[in-house]
Amino acid sequence: MAGHSHPSPPRGASVSRRRFLGLGVAALAGAAGAGTLSACSSSDSPGRYTTQAKVSKGQRVHLDFWTWVPVQPVVDIWNKANPDIQVTVNVIPGGSSGGYQKMYSALRVGNAPDIAHVEYQELPAFMLVQGLSNLSPYGVERYRKDYVPWQWQQGVFGKDVYTLPWASGPMAMFYRHDLFHEYGISVPGTWPEFEAAARTVRQRSRHHAYLHSFPPSNAAWFEGLAWQAGGDWVRSDGDTWIIDIDNPRTRKVADYWDRLIRDDLLLVENDGTSGWYKAIQDGQLACYVTADWYDALIKDNAPNTSGKWKSTGMPQWKAGAKTAANWGGSSVAVLQGSKYPTQAMEFAHWFGTNIKAVNGTFALGSGWPALAGAYHETIVSKKSSFYSDTAYNEAFNVADAHIDTSWRFLPTNDAMIQHMDDAFSAAIASGSSLSATLTGVQTRAIDDMKAKGLKVRAA
Amino acid sequence: MSAVQTPARSAPAPTRHRRRMHRPQRRAAIILMAPFFVFFLVAFVAPILDAIYQSLLQTHRSGYLGLGKSTTVFAGLSNYALALREPDFIAAYGRVLLFGVVQVPVMIILATALAFLLESVSRRWAGFFRATYFLPYGVPGVIASLLWSYLYVPGVSPIVSLFNDVGIHLDFLGFHTVLWSIANIVLWEFAGYNMLIIVAQLKSIPDDLIESARVDGAGPWRTNLYVRLPLIRPALILTIVFSIIGTLQLFNEPQVLSQVSSYITTTYTPNISAYNQSFTNNNTNLASAEAVILALVAAILSFSFLKLVTRRRSR
Repeated sequence: MAGHSHPSPPRGASVSRRRFLGLGVAALAGAAGAGTLSACSSSDSPGRYTTQAKVSKGQRVHLDFWTWVPVQPVVDIWNKANPDIQVTVNVIPGGSSGGYQKMYSALRVGNAPDIAHVEYQELPAFMLVQGLSNLSPYGVERYRKDYVPWQWQQGVFGKDVYTLPWASGPMAMFYRHDLFHEYGISVPGTWPEFEAAARTVRQRSRHHAYLHSFPPSNAAWFEGLAWQAGGDWVRSDGDTWIIDIDNPRTRKVADYWDRLIRDDLLLVENDGTSGWYKAIQDGQLACYVTADWYDALIKDNAPNTSGKWKSTGMPQWKAGAKTAANWGGSSVAVLQGSKYPTQAMEFAHWFGTNIKAVNGTFALGSGWPALAGAYHETIVSKKSSFYSDTAYNEAFNVADAHIDTSWRFLPTNDAMIQHMDDAFSAAIASGSSLSATLTGVQTRAIDDMKAKGLKVRAA
Repeated sequence: MSAVQTPARSAPAPTRHRRRMHRPQRRAAIILMAPFFVFFLVAFVAPILDAIYQSLLQTHRSGYLGLGKSTTVFAGLSNYALALREPDFIAAYGRVLLFGVVQVPVMIILATALAFLLESVSRRWAGFFRATYFLPYGVPGVIASLLWSYLYVPGVSPIVSLFNDVGIHLDFLGFHTVLWSIANIVLWEFAGYNMLIIVAQLKSIPDDLIESARVDGAGPWRTNLYVRLPLIRPALILTIVFSIIGTLQLFNEPQVLSQVSSYITTTYTPNISAYNQSFTNNNTNLASAEAVILALVAAILSFSFLKLVTRRRSR
């Protein structure tokens, strides 16, 4: 959670000691925020709209940048090179931990910062409150060629471009090659092979170890797996949103994990929790299918497993395919109300594509660069001794090129993810099936959207 | 000794005629009370009025997928209808009701027992015990919940690992147990506070009343049961009303524990539901409606309880 941009923090069953303090601060912020619940102002429209102010020669422009990622060192590089455009970093709580609410409030009263980190899944929600500046009039199209196409596409609504992509989380698999060897399993290429490997690990470890885990309340991870299976939870028909969470592709994924849970082939534990890291440290887990930004998390939390990890692509539904998915991702947006959208956009573009900036933020564990071809040009392709002296990001580079680009997020994605978290954890606690919860999740998601005054229907 | 004491501790008789304030006095009173009323209006009355106003509004959206211009319109009670149609929101009331049915009696019995114990210990120690029992109330709810979650989380908690060592697997954060783990925190936090209210009332019982009971041959048990207990009735009613309201507004403890338990949903209590409507879903209007409903339910429950006990008394 601390300093990590992409995942909405998993609501885990337990938390490591180190993370506990950060958690306390977040909780405090949440409780303090509750007091102002009803004090928010009324209209959903922004208090001020973006217009470019005239900048005379030699005039210094000041831009505010709200983020929860500790990017000051990278911004310092910009400030040094651009004395006329000075960017001030303002560290705010993580997006779903109150950061977005702060932005929404600022947007309403018309004093939002010029620049802010907004995650991909939150972009439609920002569009709902007209929180993002339309960058097309300022010539954003000239930047398109510099970015990974699907990431660029996250900021496109209708014909216009509303944000610049920054980083993402292509999904692949981290695995313990020593344990794979010990249990005599090969890297599973397909999901059926993955299931067979899970059975083997259970048997050969005498029910001590597991191949993999399942997080009972981390639906954002499940969203990635549904994404890989072509889940496509939302589409549009004219001006109407069509919600299609409860579809056969998603049911297939839910049923698959359901069966593995029922057969005791998975450790049922939220990832990123202290219990989960303990299982990683103890070699009780042999692999995890996850986003690339998990590299630092595994490395930092299980240093004793150094040299035992490698990476490979996600198991496939169709043998020989390379379809991948994404978990997490962030853009650098010019928020509504900025007086200097041109300058803000210029900075956002530098921040996402300048090699120094990309190296600087990647080292922070920011996630996969949105810069096209970044893998070979930046430190992303560096070998790591923790990952057995391999260029472990290669698997993620392949994944990045094979992400299903048709995926769209709901404008109420956070709330929907929470409904799914609630439903999944209840289903697992009561021993009922995951796929049976999808109908209810879909209904709730539709209710949320209706309550926001949107035209919406089930598929 | 007690015979000499006059019942000075009971409330003074109301003065017959109100004295007129002199002008400088009145000015001083206004100046001294003004800060309170300013804060009361700004931080209490205004937000409540705003919440009621917000709860009557809805946003209508237009354009491609509703992503274009939006207008805020007066929507009457439709936010309320929306909230009451949501099964999760109703279930949250069921959950806090179950919580209250167990928690409130336990709380009151414990607070009363502690108060009576304090009365029976020697004066030298009473101050120490009173401070000790009251201490948890001085810890903010969020901090208290964090402290307790250290004791609940497996891998961090010494209690869990201690029991694990002897083969007992405790799960404080499970589907069925987490509600009672919350109850435990609330009990720890507020038992001392409620105790203090009861102690204050116990102190106001004239000593000669106790003395005469003793003279009539009542032992300590009978004195407590038939003399003290009926006399602290107003304090008990007050603490019960506080506990009912507190239960309905349950927020800090489950919100903090939701970080460590998968089973605290986003609609776990009515307050958490309103919070998430506002802060996750950015729907202030629906959140306001939920908050107003909660206030109404709390008011109705508290007043019906008061009505119930006062009616019984007049019989």
